[in-house]
Amino acid sequence: MRLSRSTTRRIARAVSAALAALSFLAAPVLAAPKFPALTGRVVDQANILSSSTRSLLTEMLARQERATGDQVVVVTLKSLQGYSIEEFGYRLGRYWGIGQKNKNNGVLVIIAPAERKVRIEAGYGLEGTLTDAESRIVIDRDILPAFRRGDFNAGVVAGVGSILTVLGGGTAPQSGLDWSTGRGGNLRDPIFWAGILLFGAEGVLFLMLFFIGLRYHPGRKGYILFRPGRSSRDPLGLAFLASAYSTGAHSTGGGGGLDSGGFSGGGGSFGGGGASGSW
Amino acid sequence: MSRRHLPALAGVAVFGLLILGSAGCGVNKIPALDEQVKAAWSQVLNQYQRRADLIPNLVATVKGYAHQELQVLTQVTEARAKATRTQLPPNILSNPQAFREFEKNQAALDTALSRLLAISERYPALKSDQNFLALQSQIEGTENRIAVARRDYIIAVQEYNTELRTIPGRWTAALLYPKLKVRQTFTVARQAERVPQVKF
Repeated sequence: MRLSRSTTRRIARAVSAALAALSFLAAPVLAAPKFPALTGRVVDQANILSSSTRSLLTEMLARQERATGDQVVVVTLKSLQGYSIEEFGYRLGRYWGIGQKNKNNGVLVIIAPAERKVRIEAGYGLEGTLTDAESRIVIDRDILPAFRRGDFNAGVVAGVGSILTVLGGGTAPQSGLDWSTGRGGNLRDPIFWAGILLFGAEGVLFLMLFFIGLRYHPGRKGYILFRPGRSSRDPLGLAFLASAYSTGAHSTGGGGGLDSGGFSGGGGSFGGGGASGSW
Repeated sequence: MSRRHLPALAGVAVFGLLILGSAGCGVNKIPALDEQVKAAWSQVLNQYQRRADLIPNLVATVKGYAHQELQVLTQVTEARAKATRTQLPPNILSNPQAFREFEKNQAALDTALSRLLAISERYPALKSDQNFLALQSQIEGTENRIAVARRDYIIAVQEYNTELRTIPGRWTAALLYPKLKVRQTFTVARQAERVPQVKF
């Protein structure tokens, strides 16, 4: 029995939960779910993230790995295939081997829109840094409010931002154990918006140069973002942001960036740490 | 090469063949699997201990808001005491009675704890207590870790027991590791126990 899940779950969801539990009974203990392929730091199997969010996240996560070695992967799933998100989560993390082998410093952010479940799965080695309580705060404060509005992009970006803040060795975002949801997460953070403005300005400049015709290095990945057809999925205009990130990454010569081909798990393992939520 | 070196050479050859052949019959595999079972078991104990360590704090916090729920609070404290008091015998993994006893005590604590967390739903002040929320999410996480550790243990034991009970591992074990016994495993996978209890 999942002891305290029942305490937080609302009555309206009890029926679906019981059905889910019944399906676990039917699933054999050792049967393995079908896992998606690890195609990059962002695996959007459920297709709920805009391309600009994907590139923004990929860049944020690549920077984190360069800075601390921690591997964070965002994955959206079409279906949990009858498993609980907790079970699916640690098994997927082990299957992909997220995190360095001896440090087990991987984190999975799992979103299952069909089941309306989200989970932060922390590798063995990060359980002391990204504690269960902190994962829960990130979910309750940064992710769920946006998801309830139907805004997956904002929720994931805010959640990942907070996770990276925690992993960066700083204190938990916004005064540690702050359970109040009033501040609405990073999207209300002036520094966050200052960053957007800054990168946005850089993006405008980039676009101007692009249209004037100074197309140096036409093979750059950054240009792909401006392909027509993609922009309809980018209501916030985050493409600028992503382009700024990508140009930054390329000019510093760092790996990762928008190139997801080279990414693979380091062989880290998971033991069930983290927190879950539903909306 | 003189003739008197032949017996020595033959001995070396036979020894080499034995080493090579032993790789396939479990000489190394059985101890490796045994270690794997031990490691998985320590992880199970470790996670149960972690849960037990969180409980006094939780009880104290709930008591602050819901002291009239004395019965539930006492049950949790008693179940915890029972689960942690019993000294586990060293042969617990091959001793069915001791293993069942361990499992029973932990299951009793599962039940008491879930009741405690369920009643806390009735106290809005408690539900918004930051300390309680932090403890609750830690216990939630620990419950999940227990589930993972149990599943890992079940898998490790299954592999080990299969090796020990099938040929050629069976012969190797009888010959070289007569002390190693088939290990006990959990009767119910925790995911099957996980039916949420909803109290109105």
